[in-house]
Amino acid sequence: MLIWVCALHCEAKPVIDFYRLKKSQDRHAFDVYRGDDMVCVVSGIGKIASAAACAWIAASYPGETSFAWINLGTAGGAEHQIGDLLQLNQVVDADSGQCYYPAPVAVSPLSGSACLTLSRPSEDYRSDTLFDMEASGFMHSALRFSSAELVQGLKVVSDNRKQQTGKDRQRISELIQRHIDSIHRQAEALQELDRELAALEPAADSWQQVLLLAHFSQTQKSRLRILWRYLCNRDFSTDSLLRQLATLNSARAILETLEQISFRDSEGL
Amino acid sequence: MASCVYVETAVRHHPRTLRLLERLHKLPLIEIDHYGEVFNPRSQNFRLQKKNPAVIIAHKNKGQVLAAPEGYGLGGDYNYYFSHMLNCIYDCRYCFLQGMYQSAHQVLFVNYEDFADRIRQIAADHAGQPVWFYSGYDCDSLANEPLTRFTNFFIPLIAGIDNAWMELRTKSTQIRGMLKMEPLARVVTAFSFSDAFSHGKLEHGVPTIAKRIGAMRRLIEAGWSVGLRFDPVVYHRDYQAAFVDLLDQLFTQVDGQKLHSVSLGSFRLTRDHFRRVSRLYPEEPLFAQSMHLNNGIISYPLDREREMIQFCEAQLMKHISEQSYQPCEWHD
Repeated sequence: MLIWVCALHCEAKPVIDFYRLKKSQDRHAFDVYRGDDMVCVVSGIGKIASAAACAWIAASYPGETSFAWINLGTAGGAEHQIGDLLQLNQVVDADSGQCYYPAPVAVSPLSGSACLTLSRPSEDYRSDTLFDMEASGFMHSALRFSSAELVQGLKVVSDNRKQQTGKDRQRISELIQRHIDSIHRQAEALQELDRELAALEPAADSWQQVLLLAHFSQTQKSRLRILWRYLCNRDFSTDSLLRQLATLNSARAILETLEQISFRDSEGL
Repeated sequence: MASCVYVETAVRHHPRTLRLLERLHKLPLIEIDHYGEVFNPRSQNFRLQKKNPAVIIAHKNKGQVLAAPEGYGLGGDYNYYFSHMLNCIYDCRYCFLQGMYQSAHQVLFVNYEDFADRIRQIAADHAGQPVWFYSGYDCDSLANEPLTRFTNFFIPLIAGIDNAWMELRTKSTQIRGMLKMEPLARVVTAFSFSDAFSHGKLEHGVPTIAKRIGAMRRLIEAGWSVGLRFDPVVYHRDYQAAFVDLLDQLFTQVDGQKLHSVSLGSFRLTRDHFRRVSRLYPEEPLFAQSMHLNNGIISYPLDREREMIQFCEAQLMKHISEQSYQPCEWHD
């Protein structure tokens, strides 16, 4: 599942419109917009809000095996043109000095930049870095749930030494909207990686069915998961395996049978 | 293609860094304080990174040369290893490097002179005794030659230290630099091979067997010492026929009697490495085979392992001299 984390509604709007996400009507700590294998959470301003939103949204999908994340928002940059889209390759928390590195899996078509996350708005522009107020909180929290290859920051420059967009929400949405195709391509690439990882896990329903066949101790359950995951990945029919296992009367017999099937299969490499 | 280049600020203007950056100029460049910031964090996925690992240019601060683990070596009394790189450009599923580091990025150390000082010092500590330095432990010695020019620096270094010997362990064919040098008997280039079936299934990105045999032959013809490493031998239904085919292919082109050393060992990993790598590749048959845990090492059940080693040894001995044979001994 891809999770968009935006500080403001005006930053989220281009994504909500492009993917036709629907606002969740339930009462939540954060505003949430849902779509097909995708969700957008509006965190509010600041790194703590961003970290809290990440943790909250991940916790609200306990069945998900893999998450990909994009922090989409605006940033200041001394030399950049207003409206430039940049992919973050280094995020530094100004308070703690902690560095985070999103790990691109391919050469990005977007220009990269470091980003310094501040606790307060600032006009002290630095030439070698963007600055924002969320990225370090986002990275800190998202990296608890996903590996760095699945966590990205995309920032559109809204302020520079000469010009500030300030609180013009419509203008912010327009600046992001201009890049929606590039943003979509980044999202697609990330979703592909996320699906690749998710596909390695057995389908939840077949896993629940195999668990119901006998009483497994924790150690047996760990071994069962390894065997079940292997056979599912090797395209064995789970229906036919479940039928075969249903005739057995103990956890041990089930494990032995699955081991024999795995051993036979693996001898062909 | 690498995804980007990270470079430590302290070596940003090192001559080797500048040469590397010339070759990598099309990639995004990110300056960092220390390679560990990027290489060591836990929340990284080796499998995903391996698709397009980044290059990290760094300075090795300490531990440039270390004592080799027990059982590693070619029978000498003094064995050390050093790694001018961390990680390998190839993707061999059985390799312990798959589970060694959090990251699949390739770290290239540029302070060769510090490695050289340490090698000289260790050799001097054992003056009059042969000392072996192994370079292919945390990486493939030659695979990144066009970038690292490793042999250009380290072979002349070893040539200048009378009691120093060096093993280059490789699956690559990057021997152009060596062919331009005077051969040195105290440098052994050891080529690793698996049978063709295992190669096709498990050695992703590795040059073909034929190309590697060609590289081996050219080195021998140029007067270099060459060794063979069949480690690990991987079990599969037809491993015996496949191993015989591999030896036939090798020894029709290379004179087995002229090899410096030949070693043989079956697939094994420490339990921690095995767990990590089998979690990364849950669909991999190699890790679903019948295995046995003994003293923290996961390997084939003893009877299978014994059968494999005995068979492969018997076949090998038809082609090589007994003196050159070095079994990999890792059992207590």
